[in-house]
Amino acid sequence: MTGLKGNGSPPSLPLPRPKSPPEYADLYRKRREMAKVQMLEREIGFLEEELKSIAGLQPASRPCKELAEFVTCNADPLIPVRTKKIRRSCCLWKWLCGASCFNVSSICCCCCQSHLERTRSHDCTTCSCSNPCKGCPTPKCNHCFCCSSRCSNKPTCSWTCCIPKCPSCLTCPSTRCVCNVKCLEGNMCSCCTKSCCNSCLFCY
Amino acid sequence: MSVLAELKERHTAATETLNGLKDKLKQKRLLLLDTDVAGYARSQGKTPVTFGPTDLVCCRTLQGHTGKVYSLDWTPEKNRIVSASQDGRLIVWNALTSQKTHAIKLPCAWVMTCAFSPGGQSVACGGLDSVCSIFNLNSPNNKDGNLPVSRMLTGHKGYVSSCQYVPDEETHLITASGDQTCVLWDITTGLRTSVFGGEFQSGHTGDVLSVSINGSNSRMFVSSSCDTTVRLWDTRVASRAVRTFHGHEGDVNTVRFFPDGNRFGTGSDDGTCRLFDIRTGHQLQEYSRPYGENGVPHVTSIAFSISGRLLFAGYTNGDCYVWDTLLAKVVLNLGSLQNSHDGRISCLGLSGDGSALCTGSWDTSLKIWAFGGHRTTVT
Repeated sequence: MTGLKGNGSPPSLPLPRPKSPPEYADLYRKRREMAKVQMLEREIGFLEEELKSIAGLQPASRPCKELAEFVTCNADPLIPVRTKKIRRSCCLWKWLCGASCFNVSSICCCCCQSHLERTRSHDCTTCSCSNPCKGCPTPKCNHCFCCSSRCSNKPTCSWTCCIPKCPSCLTCPSTRCVCNVKCLEGNMCSCCTKSCCNSCLFCY
Repeated sequence: MSVLAELKERHTAATETLNGLKDKLKQKRLLLLDTDVAGYARSQGKTPVTFGPTDLVCCRTLQGHTGKVYSLDWTPEKNRIVSASQDGRLIVWNALTSQKTHAIKLPCAWVMTCAFSPGGQSVACGGLDSVCSIFNLNSPNNKDGNLPVSRMLTGHKGYVSSCQYVPDEETHLITASGDQTCVLWDITTGLRTSVFGGEFQSGHTGDVLSVSINGSNSRMFVSSSCDTTVRLWDTRVASRAVRTFHGHEGDVNTVRFFPDGNRFGTGSDDGTCRLFDIRTGHQLQEYSRPYGENGVPHVTSIAFSISGRLLFAGYTNGDCYVWDTLLAKVVLNLGSLQNSHDGRISCLGLSGDGSALCTGSWDTSLKIWAFGGHRTTVT
């Protein structure tokens, strides 16, 4: 047979030399690099501007003072107030409030703490403020205006004034009851005898 | 030299110049830091806030999500909360009664953020779908029994990490995204009014993780990013940030304006919270604690009390520190109280009147914390 060598094996063929894929021009690489450089040069300009402006800046003590004044001039419902001395008001409106309503207990409920501290005879039971009264020993219920010990309203009251009651049973004695929604699944609330559910996603 | 090689050389030189200028700026700023807030407060004789064992209590636990809670927001006036969870739902709660008023199944379950509109009629959410979806709570359900999407805000090229409605504007909101931009949207048209940052504008160089709009001047907002910086923006000028704030050494996960509108707080993967002044750019205070062998827990979320005296910070290890902002001391750890969460605190927020704090957690629940003590007066 032609093509075969004397030993019977076919002639060796040249090894395959696959070609590399053709290089496609990255038309956007130059543009991307240019954009990055321009961005950096822009940032350099901004920093140089900031360096120039820093010369006229006030030291940190000034904004610290402003912050401290702001904080101490504003009441905060989450902060316990335990003070043995009458605080000197740092805001004009507090001084004016105290001066004008010194003997008017019904107005004082919404006013400054320092005034309340002066009106020792402030009577919780006559206070008709809808907001939690700062002068009262216990926060008032926004809905029923009574102090927490007497409040038996349904769960529309403020946070810690009245314990929310199960709408199903209304008489749930447990202070830990968080039942709120009638569950179609019929799950039982651990503190109530009526069916209610607080974890069913589909309850309304 | 080829054009490309020349550009690379310019890039290297510019980076070197930029880093040199940043160092110079840092040194000059250090000279102006004559005190911090705690130093000033101590010099004025301030004493730390003290909490008794029952002063701040967990007074509600909102249960209903079946996945990690990622985000929450209060209505500005009434006591309703919207929460977003890995279970693919938004739930709207009456926080006083703990009742759920809406349970919204989302088109994309991978939600990361939610927000209430100023009037409380709509909620917005966004996540890995790169879309901010708007739901009108008064719309009737569709034939599948779900609340329909009333508007989809599309255009981001990365996930939506944070969103907030512009105060007192039902039709505008700002989103923050993994595509390194923030966007101001017109909800009525669904179009982008402005894009802050991005490929061809000066802005963040990493994912933007959080946004906070100034309650005193709604044209100003701050954004925080994985590039470790916070940027202050004016919505009228999208081409560049008003100021860039450096200091953090890790991703800045959360940013919130201080109640006076002239400062803002941040929380970061470097384990610290910081307070910055927007007018001078100064870092006024760092809130950090020494940590042991378990490493530094990251700060996931922060909120200020209504007076600014308290800074609430949620951490990845389940702690929720209450910082006295004036004296930079931890005055309480909600994570160690009775009925606290069993997992990471992922989000938190204060009610509109400042009387309650809501925390959301990977344990699938939300909790409301309020003052449960007595306010004693002079005797």
